This record gives sequence, C-alpha cells and structure tokens, in this order.
Amino acid sequence: MTADALSLVCNLGVLDSLSEASISEILESWNSFCLITETIVKGDDADLSSSYSKFQSYVSSLCKYGLRSLVEEHFLISLQDMLEKHVAPKFWKNFDAYSNVTDLEENDKDMHEDEVELLLCKALEEISLEKQYQEKYLLMLVKSLQLCQDSTSMEGHPSDVEKFFFSKYHLIISSVLMTTLPRQFPEVLHWYFKGRLEELSTIMAGNYEDSESQDRIGMELYGKGKHPTQFGNMDIDGSYDQKEILENKLVRNIGMVVHNLRSLGFTSMTEDAYASAIFLLLKAKVFDLAGDDYRSSVLESIKEWIQAVPLQFLHALLDYLGDSISYLSPSSMKSPLASSPSSCYPGASKPSEGIIRWQLRLEYFAYETLQDLRIAKLFEIIVDYPDSAPAIEDLKQCLEYTGQHSKLVDSFISALQYRLLTAGASTNDILHQYVSTIKALRTIDPAGVFLEAVGEPIREYLRGRKDTIKCIVTMLTDGTGGNNNGPGNSGDSLLEELNRDEENQETAGLDDDINIDDKQAWIDVQRWEPDPVEADPLKGSRYRRKVDVLGMIVGIIGSKDQLVNEYRVMLAEKLLNKTDYDIDTEIRTLELLKIHFGENSMQKCEIMLNDLIDSKRTNTNVKATINQLSQTGAESQEHEVSFDILDATIISSNFWPPIQDEVVNIPEPVDQLLSDYAKRYHEIKTPRKLLWKKNLGTVKLELEFEDRTLQFTVTPVHASIIMQFQDQTSWNSKNLAAAIGVPVDTLQRRISFWISKGIIAESSGEDSNDHVYTLVDSMADGGKTGINNEELVADDDAERSVASVEDQLRKEMTVYEKFIVGMLKNFGSMALDRIHNTLKMFCVSDPTYDKSLQQLQFFLSGLVAEEKLELRDGMYFLKK
Amino acid sequence: MATMNNQDSNNNNNNNNRQVTAGPPMNASKQPLPTPKTVDTQSVLKRLQSELMALMMSGDSGISAFPEEDNIFCWKGTISGSKDTVFEGTEYKLSLSFPNDYPFKPPKVKFETGCFHPNVDVFGNICLDILQDKWSSAYDVRTILISIQSLLGEPNTSSPLNTQAAALWGNQEEYRKMVEKLYKPVA
Repeated sequence: MTADALSLVCNLGVLDSLSEASISEILESWNSFCLITETIVKGDDADLSSSYSKFQSYVSSLCKYGLRSLVEEHFLISLQDMLEKHVAPKFWKNFDAYSNVTDLEENDKDMHEDEVELLLCKALEEISLEKQYQEKYLLMLVKSLQLCQDSTSMEGHPSDVEKFFFSKYHLIISSVLMTTLPRQFPEVLHWYFKGRLEELSTIMAGNYEDSESQDRIGMELYGKGKHPTQFGNMDIDGSYDQKEILENKLVRNIGMVVHNLRSLGFTSMTEDAYASAIFLLLKAKVFDLAGDDYRSSVLESIKEWIQAVPLQFLHALLDYLGDSISYLSPSSMKSPLASSPSSCYPGASKPSEGIIRWQLRLEYFAYETLQDLRIAKLFEIIVDYPDSAPAIEDLKQCLEYTGQHSKLVDSFISALQYRLLTAGASTNDILHQYVSTIKALRTIDPAGVFLEAVGEPIREYLRGRKDTIKCIVTMLTDGTGGNNNGPGNSGDSLLEELNRDEENQETAGLDDDINIDDKQAWIDVQRWEPDPVEADPLKGSRYRRKVDVLGMIVGIIGSKDQLVNEYRVMLAEKLLNKTDYDIDTEIRTLELLKIHFGENSMQKCEIMLNDLIDSKRTNTNVKATINQLSQTGAESQEHEVSFDILDATIISSNFWPPIQDEVVNIPEPVDQLLSDYAKRYHEIKTPRKLLWKKNLGTVKLELEFEDRTLQFTVTPVHASIIMQFQDQTSWNSKNLAAAIGVPVDTLQRRISFWISKGIIAESSGEDSNDHVYTLVDSMADGGKTGINNEELVADDDAERSVASVEDQLRKEMTVYEKFIVGMLKNFGSMALDRIHNTLKMFCVSDPTYDKSLQQLQFFLSGLVAEEKLELRDGMYFLKK
Repeated sequence: MATMNNQDSNNNNNNNNRQVTAGPPMNASKQPLPTPKTVDTQSVLKRLQSELMALMMSGDSGISAFPEEDNIFCWKGTISGSKDTVFEGTEYKLSLSFPNDYPFKPPKVKFETGCFHPNVDVFGNICLDILQDKWSSAYDVRTILISIQSLLGEPNTSSPLNTQAAALWGNQEEYRKMVEKLYKPVA
C-alpha cells in the first residue's frame, strides 16, 4: 500500500496518460511479481530457473512503467520479512537452552562449553546457508534489474548496483538479528571463545615451552638464541606437525565462526567476545605467573607469553580472515598503515598493524593486571623487601607504563593503616617497615613524591609513640635494630645506611641546603628532573630532592637535636657500663653520625668518648705511680686490696647527661682505695679533683661459700649489700639500710636481686615493716651443687646510670608548668597548639621555651597522668 | 568617672603611637600585634615579660593572669574571693589592658565576671585609687591583682559605684546571699 501511495505521489502526471490496458497490465504484473517473490523468498520452489524467467519478465514489465523502485523495495521488504519471521527465530531458537546461563555457569561449565561449541557452529552454518540462498535471490533480482536497465539504459555501473543491494541486504540482516538478539548471546559467544582459547593456549603453551627448550638447544648449537618473536617460523619445523595440525584446525574452526559471525554483522560483538576471552586468559596467566612469589621478576615471562600465545593466535586468526580484515575492522581503517595491502597478508614477514595494536593492548593489560596485583600485595612485598626486589622492579616498570601511581599510594596507605599502624605493632617493626618502604619506593620513584605521601601517615603515627626515638637510636647504633629475633635483621640496619651515606658524602648533610658549594649546585642542576605530574604542588619540592633514609627517619622526630640527645643518653649508659675501655665501635658510630649530623651537634658525645680514652690513660698512670709508691713505701701494705682491681672512668660531667646520684656507703677498704686513688689523681692532675659517683660502675665479685663459688657482675649497691653479710649473716632491713646508707625501700628493691639468686633469704621480722635478711650459707636446697660459675649481670630496668631523656625533659619542663597552669587558669581550656604557641611567645627569656610540640605533648600527658590537668576533645583543662 | 579619664589618656596614647609608626620595622615573629615598635615599646614588652615571669614564679594562690595568645598588652586575670569574706568560693575573671607607656600609666582593669561589689559597677569598671590617681610605676600586675583581691573584702563604701551594694554591705549575711545569687561563674 505504501508503494502505491508512493507511486501516486511521484507520478501523478503520468497517471493521466495511462490507458486502461496498461493499468491492467501493471496490476497483473504486480500481483504476479508479488506472488513469485513470495515463493522465491520462501525458498520452497525447487525449480528456481523456471520461476526466474517469469520473475524476470514481471520485473521488466514493471520497470517499463517506471516502478523499478517499487520492485526493489518490495523484494527487500519480503526478504526482511522472511528473515524476521523464520530465519532469525530459528537461529535464536538454538540458544534458547542458555536463556538462564548465568545461573548455570557455576555448575557445569565444562559440559556447556562443548555443547556451546557444537551448537554455535551448527547454528552459524545454518544461518549462513540461509543467507547464501537469500543472496542468491538477491542476485536474481539484480540480474533482472540489470536486464531492464540495459534496455532503459539507466544510471550506474552494474557492479555498483550489486554492491548497493548487498550492502543493503547486510544491513537488513544484521539489523534484524540485532533487534531480535537474545540477552544471552554475547555470553554464549564469550564462552565459546574462552573454551577455544583455553584449548588453544594449552597447545600453544606446549609449543612455547618446547620452543623455549629448543631455543636453548639452538643457543647451544648455533651460539645464538632465537628471538621470541620468531615463533611463527618455528611452526614450520617438522617436529611440530602434530601440534600444528591441531592448532591450525582449531584456528580454522575459530576463524570460521568469526567469519560467519562477522558476515551476520556481529563484528564488534565478536571482537568483544574474543578480546575479553583473551584478556581473561591473560589475566589468569598473569595471576598464575605472578602469584605470591616476589623473589623473581615475572614481567619478561609474561611478555614472552603474550608473544607466544595470544599474539600467535591472533596472528593466525587475522591471517585466516585475511581479506575480510581490512574491510571489517573499521578501527584499523583509521590508521594510514592499515590500508597498506601488505599489512594483513598471511605469512607477512613483519607483524601487521592489527597485530601490533593487539600487542600494545595486551601488554598494557598485562602491565595493569600485574600492577594491580602487586599493589594489592605491596605491603607483603615490602615486608620482605630486600628479597622481593624483583617484584618491586616489575611494579616500577608497570607503573612507568600505566602511570597509575596514585592507585599505589591510596592502596598502600590504607594497607598501612589497617595492618601496620595499630597498637599491636611494635615500634621497631613499624620502623623497619618504614625503612623498607623508603628503600622500596626509592626504586619505584626516585624523586620521592609518592614516598612523601605514603610516609606521612607512618611518620604521623610514629610521632605519637613514646619509644620511637629510642628505637631509632638503637637501630642507628646497634645495627641489629634492637630486636635480634625480629624480622628485621642486619638487612635494614640503619648503621648500614650510615655507611652507605658515607660513600656518597659529596651530597652533604641533610639540612644544609644553604652551604652547598658551587660544584654541588652544578651537580644538582644537572641531575634535575621535573617533578612527576602527580606531585602535590602544595608540598615544597625541596624535600623531594633527596630520598635519604636517615633524613626521613630524622623527619619523624622533627629535629635531629632530640635524636642526638637520645643518642647521648644511650651512649652514656653504654660507656658507663663498660669495664674495659674498648670503645672502637662507638667511635666508629660517632664518626658516622658526625658526618651526618654535623660536628657541632655531636660535640658532647665526642667529649664523652674522649673522656673514656683519657680515663684509660689516666687510670694506667695513676695505678702505675701508686704501685711505685707501694713498692717503695711499706705503709701501703695496709691496703687490703690492691689498685689492680680498680679501673676508673673519669668523666667531664658538664658534657654528660645528668647522672643519677644516689648515696651509698661502700665497704671501708674499697672506700679507702677510692680516696687514695682520688688523692693520687689530684697529685697528677692538679688542680683537678676526682668526685666519685659511688653508685655507678660495675663490681665483679666472687662469693665463696663452703661448698661453692659464685661469680657475679653487679652494681656497687648490690655489692655493698652482700658485703655486709660477710661479717654478720643476718640483718634486719632498717639496720642494713642504715649501714649501706640507702633508704629502706631502695634496699628492698636492690636486695631482691640477691634473694632471687637464692643467696639471701627474706623473712618478716617482729615489726610488719621490718624484714629480716639472712644469708643462705650452705646449699641446703640441692638445686645447684658444686662450683657454679655464673656470670650474671644485674639488669634492672630501674637501674640506669643516666637520667633518661624523658626525665631530663620533665625536669626542664617544670619551669613551664606554672606558665601552663597560669594560662589554663585564665583561658579555661586550650588546645595543644595554642599552649605551645603561647609558651613560645611569652617564655622568651630565661629560660627560653625551645621544646617541640611533641615534647610539650609528652609533658602535658605527664601532667594529665598526675591529675593536674585534664584532656577532653583535644583541649587541656585544669583539674578542679 | 575615673574610667572616662583613663579612656581619654588611652586615646592620647594611641595618637602618639600613630605618629611613631614609621619607626624601624621589627621582625614580627614574637609580637604580631600591629602596635608600633619603638625602643620604648621594646622596654614595655620587656617589663611585661618580666612581670609575667614574676607572677608565674610567685605562686600566689587566688590570683593569676596571663597574656592573650597574640597580644602581650592584653591580659586575662583571675582572682578568687579571699577566705572569711563574703566572696569566699567565688572566682572572678578580669581583663587587663596595658597602655603603650606602661608602667607610667596604669593598665585598664575591668571585671569580666559580674561582681556585686560597692566599688564595681555593672559594666565591671573598678573604682580603685591605685588604678587611677594613686598609680605608681612601682606597682605591677601582681600587686594590682592582690589589691583587687583585698578590695573585695574591704570595699570603700564612702564613694560607691554600686550604691545598692554599698547599702547592703552592713548586713554581711544578706550580702553573702546576694553575692551567691548574682554570681555566675565562667564556664
């Protein structure tokens, strides 16, 4: 009807001129044409040639009356009708079984895959056949039209007409199929390709491995390896016949399917399907190769695999599709290279544009997958950092390619927060991880931009821990990192880092950007690289120039002074507990620290070490002169003990951290010895005098019992206590404390050492506060018999020779306590920052407030603990 | 009355200061206040610093004062009512603002907490001789605070700012009730 209407519109003028006869002829031909078209299109008619001649005559008669467009239209419409009503439903019916594939997918994948393969092939064949028929009919029409066109000599080249019809037909068929597309079809395609590809990859992987081994053989034989991209040639090799045949068959199968699908207009869907299948395969491969092994680099093998398997397949597939490729893949049309005819020829020596495109896609995907995998596991990787260096190297390459550094930062920070920065993690472990992180990220990002971002939460967290400084100093000086059984061994010792820094010391200290000389400035300029785009412009770029482990460690604390101070205390403790004057390691560490922190800040420490060296000399000197005297003068014989047993450490106390002073009465002979020594020293070193710190030092003593001998290394107080039992085997605590000259509670604390050793027994006296201590003389309890040579060190936490940094801080801060109370009294509540600022502003003279925010916080928390202050919602209050 | 005078003199001071603004610029780190810095201001600063130090170290109970965060010329003070007076158990906030020619002129001291007292008006202004005509540069923050603290217990009822309070002073019990009723401690 529409056709009629159309002709009416077009040929109104012509209508008038038509005779009755011609009208009836038109009508007749039209009706017959419609009829015959129907039979032809249905394909029922076996005798195609007979109907063809009839068809031709009707067409030509209709054309004669200028109804050619009507004919074309009608024919195409009937073809479309046919497709819609029969072909498409029939085709889709094949896949009805999978209408709810998504549910079944989990259960019986394998069964489905085979089924799908068969089904798909069959269905495609059917529909292709159908299509061929229809194309044949279409050709018929074209021919008929051409015939009448010859007579009427109308537009165009015959082949143009044909092309026009076929493209129109293709459009119709693909649109019909597309509009009726069942939901599950893409899924089915995906399955199919996945199954095929897996099969293929196993074959090819075999190939690949063989060729690898062959590579090796080849290397041995010819002395040079074959490049992995030459696998195409490898297939020619006779020994691979079997596989090759299998492979070719498979590729041909797939090629056929792809070809059929393409001809039905499913080009992009097909490509999507096999692309996703390939990516899936690649992903699986990456996971398989990369896994949880960080000790080897996998990037190369992944790349090789891409070359060997998916690219090989694509190569074969594109080869198979050959001619159609340039026409059907519109994406490659855009490239000027793709239009060159050589690009897609089978067996082309150089890889085609399409292959290269695929290779880039696949590699990018592989990089991204590996990167995601590694980033997700970055925490673990960094935990075993020095061993996991290959994985880091891989990640670095991936990131260079993908540029998704921010992903790394975000993911790693959340991993840190979740796994490391928790109350359960020891400060040592956090520090070790921090050092490893610095080292690992230094590889990935030499400019340190991401490190800055990642390190910040760790630093922030560590600042909140009280033992951070102590741990850092231990790590710096011990080399073992403080915990010998912990995960961090010498591998991440900071001492090593100190050594390393010594080597490239032309890069100067960490905070002297000001006094770098011209030469250094020039070197810096030459090394300059622009900040990565991800760099946060808000953070000054000065910090990123050098990724310096020590610098970043010091950055946690905020100032090197605190670090140096803590080191000084530690050093003092260590030096005071030395019995020999062997300080070689300390000197070495100090030298290294000096390089790093500057001579000035380490000056006091150096004086301390010099004290030790001097002590050694003076000690020998004093003893030598005294012994000379004793040999000449007989009166020295009254000494019960000789000077040989005494070694003195003479310190310049101004330069040492405050030293714990505790009064203790040491046994008379020893006291005598000390004062003689001091006298002698005064004679030698006038006007200097020795002031003994009698509570410090170590005493080696041997306890002789009837049945055993025990050796101990203890503090003077312990020694004094036990000496009292030499003459009197039982003491009550008050008398003993008086004899030794210490408070009773101190005595009780100290004597517990001897009690724990089973040498002194404690029993309660008449008074409840009074205890009686008795010497356990004989080995009544038969645990230890015979001579027991125990070398024991009384290690009591409370016994420190030197006031800890915390104690010092507390002492120094008490001055400000009144200020803090004063300001809180008048302002009610204040935040930490404000207290800090106020102190900074008003305590400018005598003593000037020079503490850091962290120190203030520490002090305030002490005041809170003493219930002088209260802390609520970050505000400090006076406790009422 | 006296307060008015005080304000006038304050204004004069400000004018004076404006004239010397062109003085040598100082680094503002310690004193971000836009007040002009001359050698004189420097000495005022020093004086206030040492007064603060002295006050902090004196450890007097019941009086306290501290400069505001960014301005050493403005202090907040706290005094508590002395024992055995009607003001026992109460605590009063004060504001002290020092003129630029301190200590040659007295600081301006006001009650921030409302105080029912014969010599304190409803705006917190204080009538105290040493803060006006009897001022001497020998006084300092500590003595001012102590004076005010003792003023609480020993008002001068002859020239009251708060006549009601002056009238009630004779009846200490009633007065105590009034103080308790009107006392609104700062949070």
